[in-house]
Amino acid sequence: MGDTEQSPGVSTLSEPLITGSLPGSSNKHGITRIPFFPLGLPHRLILFALLFAAEWSPITRWVHKGHGGGALLQVAIAFSSLLLALSYFRSKDAFQRLSNDVRKTPIRWGLLALHLVALAAFLGLSAISSGNITFAYAITALWFATGAAAIVLAGWALVPSALALEFVRTTGYAWVYALGAAILAWRAVVSTALWNGAVWNPAIDLSWKPATDLTFNLVKGLLHLFLSQVVADRATMTIGSPKFSVIILPWCAGFEGTALMLVFSVAWLAYFRREFRFPHALMLVPAGMVVIWLANALRITALILIGVAGAPQVAEGGFHSQAGWIAFNCVALSFAILTRHMPWFASDRLGSYRVAADAPAIHNPTAAYLTPFLAILAAAMISRAASGGFEWLYPLRFVAAAAMLWFFRSKYRELDWRFGGFSVMAGGAVFGLWLGLDFMAGAHSSSTLAAGLATLPGPARITWLVFRTIAAVVTVPMAEELAFRGFLIRRLTSADFESLSPRHFTYVAVLVSSVAFGLLHGDRWLAGTLAGLIYAVAFLRRGRIGDAVVAHATTNALLAACVLLGGKWDLW
Amino acid sequence: MKLLAMMLLLIGVSGLALAQVRTPEIDPGSAGSAIALLSGALLVIRANRKK
Repeated sequence: MGDTEQSPGVSTLSEPLITGSLPGSSNKHGITRIPFFPLGLPHRLILFALLFAAEWSPITRWVHKGHGGGALLQVAIAFSSLLLALSYFRSKDAFQRLSNDVRKTPIRWGLLALHLVALAAFLGLSAISSGNITFAYAITALWFATGAAAIVLAGWALVPSALALEFVRTTGYAWVYALGAAILAWRAVVSTALWNGAVWNPAIDLSWKPATDLTFNLVKGLLHLFLSQVVADRATMTIGSPKFSVIILPWCAGFEGTALMLVFSVAWLAYFRREFRFPHALMLVPAGMVVIWLANALRITALILIGVAGAPQVAEGGFHSQAGWIAFNCVALSFAILTRHMPWFASDRLGSYRVAADAPAIHNPTAAYLTPFLAILAAAMISRAASGGFEWLYPLRFVAAAAMLWFFRSKYRELDWRFGGFSVMAGGAVFGLWLGLDFMAGAHSSSTLAAGLATLPGPARITWLVFRTIAAVVTVPMAEELAFRGFLIRRLTSADFESLSPRHFTYVAVLVSSVAFGLLHGDRWLAGTLAGLIYAVAFLRRGRIGDAVVAHATTNALLAACVLLGGKWDLW
Repeated sequence: MKLLAMMLLLIGVSGLALAQVRTPEIDPGSAGSAIALLSGALLVIRANRKK
């Protein structure tokens, strides 16, 4: 991979772009300088939503103790999504023009700092309580004012007020429809009480009954193919065998999968509408929903059969939690793949892509960077689905990643696998950070892993630990660094990521890839995000993937040593 | 970027619909890795097409 011209807004670690440059200004060499963050309106709105969620969620949980914040957040998300969708389709040209104007305007960090001040005041006022009514009214008024100021300042920092007002004007009355629909949707969710895990509501059951009955009948029919004796009590929705049975609750009847498939198929057809023939392609939407509904019936049938076969813990544990996602991923991916191989649905313009689409995956650079990581994720879903608690099939993750790394080995020879002492130190720093944050957060549960290992015979236990350790030190660092640092940072910096030097990046790309890396670490999302940032520095310092892999491997090796030598199973 | 926006939309919808569910058909706890797997696989498919 050779160096190319630097993309707009792209920095290198040793040569940061001048942040104060004006939009579109040129120097004597005629080089156009682009603002530090050339983000359009959609990107800024996404940033605003992420900032809002990142601040509001902990406030709701720890300051307001779960009262009040969740509903506002739900309405805000629904309102923003609907307003964007409605206004985009209503006046696409105006939206595009405004987005270009916003792109030329830098983010105002001073206003973001003021936003933090207002947020701090809001939090301080949240902690004050008073018996004096007059004083309490004043506190409440100030509390609302600081909360509103915090939101307005954050929005103002990202989108200038004049452009925001123009955006609102171009949407006409779309905001009224969006707000009404968002409130109605929120009320519907609250009153049905189904998505809130509340009690069964007989008044609402009637509307779900036919759908639940259909799933019940499907499962019953499928079970008769495999079992000689089927227990099916429609009154309690209990179904299975005398040995093992389950209750089909309304929210297990296929609605969630169907809703997700509806969103996925509509969004897919809308985004890639130039590649489809309409109205033919619209048939794919109900088809996808029917398939995922059937897949849910198969899931319940399989769950019952696993329980009947003598593994009720697997049926109720791993399989129950993973099978829904496995089914959705399979159906959604099949939808995406099959739609381009069916001429009746595809636009004629798709024809030019077909030859490349059928090319071997080994020539696809994205596949080389992502497939080992995706193999780990897929193997993890399968191994968890086959587990009742302890993930005894963990070695599958190692085998899947190793197979993909071997398959693309010729591609990896082009990368720079050298590393220096800095990467080892960076890995050690992440290890210290990881332990420190773990200590501050309190102990994580380790009972499942330790107890599961205790049930294995000696050779099986040693084999499992060997695979777990090698995976942690070799395949996981390689797969994750290829995906997050080698691919994601560069892909977020430029669509033509392969021609971009590994040392070129934008700060947004580094931040987004690190946050994504952190989010995949569950409870340890903060430690994961900081680790991602440090590995990114190791990678970008010399543009060598080897540095990032060694830093990551060092951290994981030290953690493995803590687990194996110190018995700290919670670190795995 | 379209794909990223689409995945954010999916995460939003699933997060909104599935928060606090006790016995899920689609487990919210596994949403992160499941959406990452789907997004990555779709990126690979689309990248093959653009060659």
